[in-house]
Amino acid sequence: MIRTRTVLVASVAVLAMVLAACGSSSGSKGSGGGATSSTTKAAPVPTSGNGTLVIGAEQEMDCADWIASCAGSSWGTWAMMEHTMPRVFEYEKVNGSWQNVPSILMASPPTITQVNGKQTVTYNINPNAVWSDKQPITSEDFKYTWQQIATGKDIYDKSGYDKIESVDSSNAKVAVVTFKTPYGSWPSLFGGGLYGILPSHLLEGKNRAKAMAGGYSFSGGPWIADWHHGVDVTLTPNPNWYGTKPKLSKVIFRFIPDTAAEFQAFKSGEALAIYPQPQLDAVEAIKKGVPDSQKDITTETPNTEALWMNNGRFPFNSLAVRQAFAWSIDRTAIVKKLFGDLGVTTPQNSFNPPIQSEYQDTSTFSPYTLNLDKVNSLMTGDGWKKNGSGIWAKNGKAASVTINSTTDNKRRELTEQIIQQQAKTAGFDVKIQNQSAAQLFGKSLPAGTYQLALYAQVATSLEPGLCSIYCSTNVPTKANGGSGQNWTRTVVPAMDPMLQTVDTSSDTQARITASKQADVIQGQNMVSLPVDPLPNISLWSNRIAGVKGDNPIFAMFWNLPEWSLNN
Amino acid sequence: MLTYTLRRVLYAIPVLLVATFMLFWLVRVAYDPCTKLRSTREGAAAVARCEKNFGLDEPVPVQYANWLTDALQGDLGTSSRTGQPVSEMLPTAMWNTVQLMFFGTVLSIFLALFLGVYSAVRQYSVADYTFTALAFIGIAMPPFWFGLLAQQYLAVGPKDWFHLQEPIFYIVGLHTPGTTGFNMDYLRHLALPVLTLTVQSIASWSRFQRTSMLDVLSTDYIRTARAKGVPRRRVVWSHAARNALIPFVTVVALDTGALFGGLIITEKIFSIPGMGRLFYDSLVAGDVNVIVAWLIITASLIILFNLIADLLYGVLDPRVRLS
Repeated sequence: MIRTRTVLVASVAVLAMVLAACGSSSGSKGSGGGATSSTTKAAPVPTSGNGTLVIGAEQEMDCADWIASCAGSSWGTWAMMEHTMPRVFEYEKVNGSWQNVPSILMASPPTITQVNGKQTVTYNINPNAVWSDKQPITSEDFKYTWQQIATGKDIYDKSGYDKIESVDSSNAKVAVVTFKTPYGSWPSLFGGGLYGILPSHLLEGKNRAKAMAGGYSFSGGPWIADWHHGVDVTLTPNPNWYGTKPKLSKVIFRFIPDTAAEFQAFKSGEALAIYPQPQLDAVEAIKKGVPDSQKDITTETPNTEALWMNNGRFPFNSLAVRQAFAWSIDRTAIVKKLFGDLGVTTPQNSFNPPIQSEYQDTSTFSPYTLNLDKVNSLMTGDGWKKNGSGIWAKNGKAASVTINSTTDNKRRELTEQIIQQQAKTAGFDVKIQNQSAAQLFGKSLPAGTYQLALYAQVATSLEPGLCSIYCSTNVPTKANGGSGQNWTRTVVPAMDPMLQTVDTSSDTQARITASKQADVIQGQNMVSLPVDPLPNISLWSNRIAGVKGDNPIFAMFWNLPEWSLNN
Repeated sequence: MLTYTLRRVLYAIPVLLVATFMLFWLVRVAYDPCTKLRSTREGAAAVARCEKNFGLDEPVPVQYANWLTDALQGDLGTSSRTGQPVSEMLPTAMWNTVQLMFFGTVLSIFLALFLGVYSAVRQYSVADYTFTALAFIGIAMPPFWFGLLAQQYLAVGPKDWFHLQEPIFYIVGLHTPGTTGFNMDYLRHLALPVLTLTVQSIASWSRFQRTSMLDVLSTDYIRTARAKGVPRRRVVWSHAARNALIPFVTVVALDTGALFGGLIITEKIFSIPGMGRLFYDSLVAGDVNVIVAWLIITASLIILFNLIADLLYGVLDPRVRLS
């Protein structure tokens, strides 16, 4: 009898759940009619109210104090910062290339002049620009932002702001920024993908970190963010936004840190859009197909994944060996293996990432592919001979190379395995020894105890700047206290002036010319070898209208106010 | 019993001190919370600034001493990852984990008890063999794999196969955004993570209970009770099961305490912001203040559950007196 009752109760519970799944959830009304896909019918979003959209976010940001060291998370930018913090420039595609375009915050494009021999940038602020509390956005906000970054104790990156001498805020709607020394990447300041402009009237005199780190309720953008720690960031329209009002009543960035679970959530309808990392399981899931959805895969990204060679350490302290090693790698095969299912097949041929394509000269890296004849010719010409194991050796030392990358990254592990096989065929003995990110970036690379490393550089703006990683003055040495990020120990004096021109000149054409010249020299000296462009993947349900694809800095969410839900 | 309890608490203090120091030292040596700043344009300058800000430029024993001094005054420090006080981060994570653990443990106990007793009473029956096979599968199955299978075949699959408007069970979090409280939405979110969590527990606990029941069922006093004409149900549940509970309670208490710290996989797969996920995120970021606080809580719970197991011994078996 008890058993019968138990079975009965359990059955009723299961039936209730099934009926709940079959019935419609409350308020699941979308806006407008919409196109449906040619596959299965679209299901209503379980979480949608009147225009509520749930997006899967792969990572939760550590903090919302965007200028502090706890920041720097891309998802912080994508889920919160870009929608709430005002900035000077937007990134838009103009005539086929990504450009800085003055945002709605600006009444007119910023002007750059020389005043008393110093670089000065004048920002004319939109007279309608206000914060969510209706207080105007003023030049005082620019000044406050600069001061917080340049003189703050715990700041993520002061680059550029530490070159500002003063900000004149005497006119509330005109900010005049004077630089101590010329700074070519000035467009990256005041909201160029890393930080936004801070509200001085709310934060002046207060502990900014405490006020912002856990979330904030002010906004200078189209949305107001509410961060539910561990769960989601909920965006609601800013009622005092002076631009195009958002169509959706709510957007929820739900934190789903597991990639497999993220795809499952997308398939089950618990998330209607996702922006997954191009890991192997994501590629596999896309290859299997995700019904009732659209995707955008682009290689126009700020990413450059490369084989970074320690030019100061055997065997890569020899140019011939570096070139020979590059000729032993079939980069096209690697890219096809990693991303071929996404339609990405061309390797990267410059250390300037794809979004800075106008600064690239790919002529010297692009010829490099698998060519064993060239390997043989270079190595024998440098005095190497193959030993009994078929590995190059010179003066009793074998061409044995250890490759380091970060642990727990299946895509990179596969890349290393392919390189290991290809290199062995060419006569190089490659051992794989991966490390934690802390060990790799904190110790091995700065100390130069590595030979070959595989990792990606990610730009945070459209502004080029390879001097930090390739100028000879930036090699970490005892003399400079181990500072500098030229971890490859690249010393090519002819290249330094060109890279410095890119950093300091405000003449765009001069920067482009110098950058291209530097690219050629990098290729001629095989300072390292760019491998693959990490593509950006955007997936969204057919229920969403208004998605216009990826933005290299702000992801697919750059035009979130234009998004809406179909029925 | 009070003396026994106090003695156990006092023994725990040096254990906690040694454990926290070792963990503190290991994390400091292995992980650098300022590493991510190396890839910024400022590089080493940003790292140096960060290290000074978090006191990382001091020797590790000095850092630990500073931490201990603050902790004894109730200040568990600030998270180097988020900038928030650790004491604010822990309660929310704990509450989410407690929910999973509570329902998981209750479900596991009831099911394991029932299956263990049933298998023992119906030894060598078809049902016994079936439950045994399922138990071995459950013990062998990695939780993460089971969780992913559950997501596919109990959530995503049925929605597609039966053209449902929503999945029967949800796979993200404990609530649909905008909803709270104990309701059908909550149960639909809880079902799969609790199932994932309990598979191995039910499997292993049911085996313990079966073995324990078989031992007790073959004893003289059970034979006597049967001979006296005591109803079968009463023999099984009032006499045999109660005595068979003693080792079962030990296993449950020890496993439950350990379970608290081992929810990393389940919480990651089902996107539940609990203690397991907090530990993992903090470990990867080298956030030693959070990790050590996490250890204190986990170790304290293990000690507590061990104590509960010992105390329950005395309750279940009057012959046992704690001294």
